[in-house]
Amino acid sequence: MDQGRAPAVRIEGLWKQFGQQVAVAGVDLELPAGQFIGLVGPNGAGKTTTLSMVTGLLRPDSGRVEIGGHDVWSDPVAVKSRIGVLPEGLRLFERLSGRELLEYTGRLRGLPGDEVDRRATQLLDVLDLAVAQHKLVVDYSTGMRKKIGLAAALLHNPEVLFLDEPFEGVDPVSAQTIRGVLERYTASGATVVFSSHVMELVESLCSWVAVMAAGRIRAQGPLAEVRGAAASLQAAFLELVGAQRTASGDNLDWLGGGAR
Amino acid sequence: MNSTSQKQVARPGAASLTPVFVRLKLSLLRNGLRQSSGRKAVYITSIVLVALFTALQLLGLTALRGTAHLAALTTLLAVVLALGWAVVPLFFASGDETLDPTRLVMLPLRPVPLVTALLTASLIGVGPAFTFAIIVGSVIATAHGAAAAVVGVFAVVLTLLVCLALARAVATANVRLLTSRRGRDLAVLSGLIIGVGMQFVSLGVRKLGAAGGLHALVPVADVLRWVPPGSAMDAVRAAGDGSYGAAVAELALSAGALALLLWWWQRSLTRLMTAPDSSTLQAATQPDKARAGRSGLAGALPAGRTGAVMLRSLRYIWRDPKTKTAWMSSLTLGVLVPMLNAAQGHGSLYFAFFAPALLGMQMYNQFGQDTSAFWMVLQTIASPRDAYVELRARAYALSLIAVPYVLIAVTGVAAVTGAWRSLPEVLGMSFAMLGALLGTGAMTSALFPYSIPQGSGFKNVAPSQVGIAWLSLFGGLIAGAVICSPLIALTIWLHVSGEFGQMWILLPLGAVYGLGAAWAGLRLAGPRVVARLPEILLAVSKG
Repeated sequence: MDQGRAPAVRIEGLWKQFGQQVAVAGVDLELPAGQFIGLVGPNGAGKTTTLSMVTGLLRPDSGRVEIGGHDVWSDPVAVKSRIGVLPEGLRLFERLSGRELLEYTGRLRGLPGDEVDRRATQLLDVLDLAVAQHKLVVDYSTGMRKKIGLAAALLHNPEVLFLDEPFEGVDPVSAQTIRGVLERYTASGATVVFSSHVMELVESLCSWVAVMAAGRIRAQGPLAEVRGAAASLQAAFLELVGAQRTASGDNLDWLGGGAR
Repeated sequence: MNSTSQKQVARPGAASLTPVFVRLKLSLLRNGLRQSSGRKAVYITSIVLVALFTALQLLGLTALRGTAHLAALTTLLAVVLALGWAVVPLFFASGDETLDPTRLVMLPLRPVPLVTALLTASLIGVGPAFTFAIIVGSVIATAHGAAAAVVGVFAVVLTLLVCLALARAVATANVRLLTSRRGRDLAVLSGLIIGVGMQFVSLGVRKLGAAGGLHALVPVADVLRWVPPGSAMDAVRAAGDGSYGAAVAELALSAGALALLLWWWQRSLTRLMTAPDSSTLQAATQPDKARAGRSGLAGALPAGRTGAVMLRSLRYIWRDPKTKTAWMSSLTLGVLVPMLNAAQGHGSLYFAFFAPALLGMQMYNQFGQDTSAFWMVLQTIASPRDAYVELRARAYALSLIAVPYVLIAVTGVAAVTGAWRSLPEVLGMSFAMLGALLGTGAMTSALFPYSIPQGSGFKNVAPSQVGIAWLSLFGGLIAGAVICSPLIALTIWLHVSGEFGQMWILLPLGAVYGLGAAWAGLRLAGPRVVARLPEILLAVSKG
């Protein structure tokens, strides 16, 4: 990819601590523009905390975040119109129908009414939500919620899209739909940053990865570079975080299903 | 597996199943005591209170023995008890874990032993004990003679079983509703429904007191004596009066009802445990109901953020059970309190201030009402102007209902009390108060946000944030009063100096004053919201 472009996201010395627990311990990252970027790490590595701080949902204790050259905390006007966010574990306005939610979000973003209508119709179509568009979001399944959240995040055509665990709890069909939309979106030059703990997924989707464990970045770079000589990203990752396979002891020797 | 063990697994008899369920119920009751000390205290207190109440009503009913038309009361009581048993579990479905048979769906159980075991298990508990005591009290109060005593024993058993079987059958038939989103919404509204129900009960009791005796109940009882389990209760009186034929017929009616209920229960149980899960069915069969996308209201609202926020706020008042409960209570109490006071003769027009006060309070904790969905708002607010427009739109939506409501409520109270002369000043003050509460509400929404737990109809503050909530509410109310104080001073001065001819000036003055107070509050709150966006999100995401 072209090295001349400015990084989409630049993170310097990001730090967050909840009481005694250090969630993010000095993260430095430069995420290249126009790529499909995966932030991987085990549960509790600090992925969600990092993404929340990058997108302005959580105030960092210290550190700087720049998106497209604009500081997230001192220049929110420039940043908020350029990013789309799909957080994990936060609600949507669930008492609106899918279409109403998109109309609401679009108008908050300052888009004209008929433009919101046009984009919402297309997004609902592409994401297979057209049939359920008049149902309340509270009655949506997990996959449908992720898809309507994605539609809301894409509605204002952001430059950088941040997705926290977009495939968690999503059925294979919805996952494929989401994947298709994201691939089309990055092909047009936009940047996607998503977090996941499923290595196979990251490996198959991303061109660039950052590996996170215990609040720090363990490795970052193009996929092939991070994977190195290892057979898969999974193997490289286990090596990086120093996780050893626990000896599968003979404690469960009765487990087999057949004998009784 | 060999054949005998297969038989054992497939058909556990009633004899083996019943003790299991009884033990399960006893364990659940015992485990009620193994909670945190706070909940344990609540649990024990409730048991003691119920025991005390039970003893009192037992004494009361026994003391009433011999009163004329007492059977009318006990018949009514039995029917009301059964009604309570039918309705209450719908609101508190999670209260009794053995009530949800879908938990047992993976176990190889036959319907008849299961129904027997569940019915036996449901005899254990505080509720059944309380019901049993009331029924026994009723029978003691109305049984005259040996025959009546014998009938009384049957009446006690039948009434109790009808109550329990009714509760179980209704809950089982509605389990789909109860475990669905609509059921949970209903549970959140239950506080409101029970509150309104209490008003009717107290009204009925007062009417009865005014009528001066139980004979007022006789026409009601004449009907209810043929409605099980009221019929079982009336059989005791009939046996005492010597009309044995009527007594037997009434008992048989209740027994028939019990059999019918058990049959219905067993049937719904079988269907429930062999049919696919409700969510699957709903997804497969529910037709897509189109909501009016651009209704008249949506088209009439201004474009941009203002219109979008107003529309969402108004939709939430109707669609979100938590917001709906708050609004319904405010709208009801806002007229009810001044009207009831007026109806009792000692009403003053000043009670009409309840209307603007209760509605203005809806502006408080605006972002808490959003729950963690506030992040969607946060993502679109970048400048103090955005935040100001956001809050102003919410205030507009609120005023759209509050201003006409206050106008009608205050005028209505003036009509009832006849205090037309005070109308301009009270109306003016009401608008000033509404405006002041909108302004302080915007400020406290920015400074003291807190989470509103969603699932429960009774908790409105997350446990760790009670202090903030009180600070927000009382700080805001005091600030609102202080803001209104110049107007209050002017009113008092006009009264003291006898300038009654000038009172009308308070109406336009109050309206303008309220507008100014609201505007100032919204203006001041804007920059504070922008500066505190992540902190607000954190505070409202605890529910």
